[in-house]
Amino acid sequence: MSHGHDNPILHPEVQMSSTRGYFTGFLISLVLMAAATAMVSSHAFPPFGLLMVITICAAIAIIAQIYFLLHIDVSEHNIWNTVSLVLFIPLFILTIGLTWWMFSQLYLRTMPMMPGMH
Amino acid sequence: MLVQVPGGWNPLLGRLAIDQIPYTNPILAPLFVAVVIGGIILLGLITYYQKWGYLWKEWLTTVDHKKLGVMYIILGLVMLFRGFIDGLMIRTQQVWANGPQSSGVFGAVHGYLTPFHFGQVYSAHGLIMILLAATPLLVGFMNIIVPLQVGARDMAYPYLNALGLWITAAAVALIMISLFVGDFAHNGWFGYAPIFELQYSPGVGVDYWIWTLELTALGTTLGGINLIATIVKMRAPGMTWFRLPIFTWASLSANIIALTSFPALQVALFLVACDRYFGSHFFTAGFGGNLMLYTNLFWLWGHPEVYFVILPAFGMMSEIFPAFSEKPLFGYITMVAASFAIAGVSWLVWLHHFFTMGAGPEVNSFFSVATMLVGIPTGVKVFNWAFTMYRGRITYTAAMLWAIGALFLLLVGGLTGMMLAIPAINYMVHNSVFVIAHFHSMLLVIVYAIFGSVLFWFPKVFGFKLDEFWAKTMFWLFSAGTVLVFVPMYMLGFMGQTRRLDYVFNTAWHPYLVTEEIGIAVYCLSVAAFFVLLYVSIRDRVKNRVGQDAWGTSRSLEWLTHSPVPFYNFAVTPHVNARDELAWRRHNGINEAQPTQYVDIHMPNNTGVAIYIGALTFVLGFALTWRVWWLCLLSLVAIIVLMIVRSWRGDPGYIITAAELEKMEREAMQRQQQVEGHLPHHGGHAVPSGAMAYEGQKVSPLGTPPSSGDHH
Ligand code: HEM
Ligand SMILES: [Cu+2]
Repeated sequence: MSHGHDNPILHPEVQMSSTRGYFTGFLISLVLMAAATAMVSSHAFPPFGLLMVITICAAIAIIAQIYFLLHIDVSEHNIWNTVSLVLFIPLFILTIGLTWWMFSQLYLRTMPMMPGMH
Repeated sequence: MLVQVPGGWNPLLGRLAIDQIPYTNPILAPLFVAVVIGGIILLGLITYYQKWGYLWKEWLTTVDHKKLGVMYIILGLVMLFRGFIDGLMIRTQQVWANGPQSSGVFGAVHGYLTPFHFGQVYSAHGLIMILLAATPLLVGFMNIIVPLQVGARDMAYPYLNALGLWITAAAVALIMISLFVGDFAHNGWFGYAPIFELQYSPGVGVDYWIWTLELTALGTTLGGINLIATIVKMRAPGMTWFRLPIFTWASLSANIIALTSFPALQVALFLVACDRYFGSHFFTAGFGGNLMLYTNLFWLWGHPEVYFVILPAFGMMSEIFPAFSEKPLFGYITMVAASFAIAGVSWLVWLHHFFTMGAGPEVNSFFSVATMLVGIPTGVKVFNWAFTMYRGRITYTAAMLWAIGALFLLLVGGLTGMMLAIPAINYMVHNSVFVIAHFHSMLLVIVYAIFGSVLFWFPKVFGFKLDEFWAKTMFWLFSAGTVLVFVPMYMLGFMGQTRRLDYVFNTAWHPYLVTEEIGIAVYCLSVAAFFVLLYVSIRDRVKNRVGQDAWGTSRSLEWLTHSPVPFYNFAVTPHVNARDELAWRRHNGINEAQPTQYVDIHMPNNTGVAIYIGALTFVLGFALTWRVWWLCLLSLVAIIVLMIVRSWRGDPGYIITAAELEKMEREAMQRQQQVEGHLPHHGGHAVPSGAMAYEGQKVSPLGTPPSSGDHH
């Protein structure tokens, strides 16, 4: 058997990993998480503002993790990563989007408006 | 930070205490004694026959996808049996506890189960059947068949494969031990907020439920990654995308669903765990929590999950129908498209499980229409199967009977699903036993497809066929049971019986409940027939031996290698020339062409690491359930250390030399000759030009024996 048994360390996707990248990704996520927790527990903004701010924190954390930890980019040797990313984005939009829609409709009928929203 | 738990807790044993062992329970205590005695006898027998070494070397440490698949299937069958016993208990309670006059024993006012115990039984039943019976059975089949169908020597990651199995086994062990240590959840298989919050379920039942689900989710995700990688990367030369057998396509679509949806479940359950362990308020009624958000997250996974389990079953049916109709599958491309359409739409419909939440007409209409769209690709599949059989030379083997049975059930389940997808109807029958009957029809499609597949692929894996008479007996008994249980259940649903009743108030329903109970009795007979089937088939195994193409009409690549499949699958990687490669070779007279020369092959080594990690995940789950923090930490660290050690060492694998291979192949061919009465010949006649039977080897003229040559 000749295929695929050469040194796995030399595979391009393995070559992309670096200690520095992992630590950067880890640090960014940690800082964002701590910041979000601190803002929530100190009630830094009105509830709706908080919601927006921590959502933005989460979005940045996701992007940082995709880039630094999962090494997803659009290069040739990462073609399958790109395929999975393309598959993932619509799912992400659909699930979050539809959830948002159904709960906003539900809240219209059942809930008082969240403070800070207008 | 950790919440205070009611009842005792100490640092050494967490919440464990002797009174958590239900030794006074009149059902569990005798069962416990029986299990212990049975276990001792089993272990004694293994020791007596000195089989420990064999078990360890050949099974517990194996990374061979066929053996792992067989173990998955055995695990699934055992859990199917356990789940069946739960079902029997549920039905017996309902027929007994019917009306105010009904008697009660064992501390129950009516029937023999207290509401508390009844809740645990139905919760365990649902969880076990979907995640620990159907899923392992299907994963087991995908494990065995997919690498063979794509012409690979093993899965892409053999060690990961073993890891997936042992983590699933850990989940099974966790739910089984909940019988005897503590109790199980009573919140249904999918859980409700806020009943699973610590305040309302202070015991350990919900924790068992959380960690069992987390472990299966993990095991299944690992298996899914492996199957996708195998299909994408490990196909034999010539196996282009549109030559892939339909079962492989179905597995691909199913595992894409698994990979994308299981994380939603894991997150949802981690949030529940946060509520229960750290006192957060994700799903509480107060403090900003949102009850329906749990339901939303759960079904975000839950609906794709039901398609994760049905798609492989569709794939199985797509293999069985052509083989016993002696025709290629009708509408191959549309079949592939339909699988992916179903997979795609399955992400858009989850709200149909909670139409009654009241999100309003726009939302409900959208999800109603989306749900009904699933009917289109499903309909395409049904017609494709029907056209496959149309004017075919049908042989009604037992496997074919199961597949046809699955087709009928699919019709019933699909049509009732369409009814449920209409919000106006759904508001009437939601949470009634009509829904239960709907999804049992659907899940029985899977069970039927699985039993069909057991019969169909058994000879491939073990080298002999199962007994047709007993297989058919089992089929008819099982089908009679299905009709007797589920037709009255549909009716009761319309009459308004709600699900999960530990006491049925309406005595007018008694005849229906009795009919269901009779159905359960018939199911018991079919279980007995299954055991007889196994006994008779193993007794007659020599008589029922088969060659490579067990049915004589099989079509895809897995039938090209010997039966039983050698551990290296294919001595030389076959070259694929057509869709339905074996049928193509048979048509061209080269179905028995053997390779002209062998070369060394590289195989992975066995490893004990996977089963150690599996055992440690069980310990971790158990420790988390009982809040034994030091043990959690210890097992977690041990898992991480083992992983690092294993990655550091890697696996150099080992080589089977061409000479050894040749010897084993000769033996296999002699066995085949004994069965079929002639030696497979090498090369063939009337071979189309450009055809290649094995990688790098033109189909050679008759009579050249394979030789190892001197090129490595
Ligand atoms: C034509 C396709 C299908 C349609 C239109 C459909 C529709 C529905 C609807 C509307 C419900 C919600 C009923 C309620 O709770 O009020 C439901 C429940 C369910 N369906 Fe289906 N379904 C389909 C196929 C399947 C398949 C293929 C499976 C599984 C193999 C399945 C398994 C289930 C399960 C497990 C539940 C209920 C779970 C529970 O509440 O415990 N369905 N289905
Ligand atoms: Cu659904």
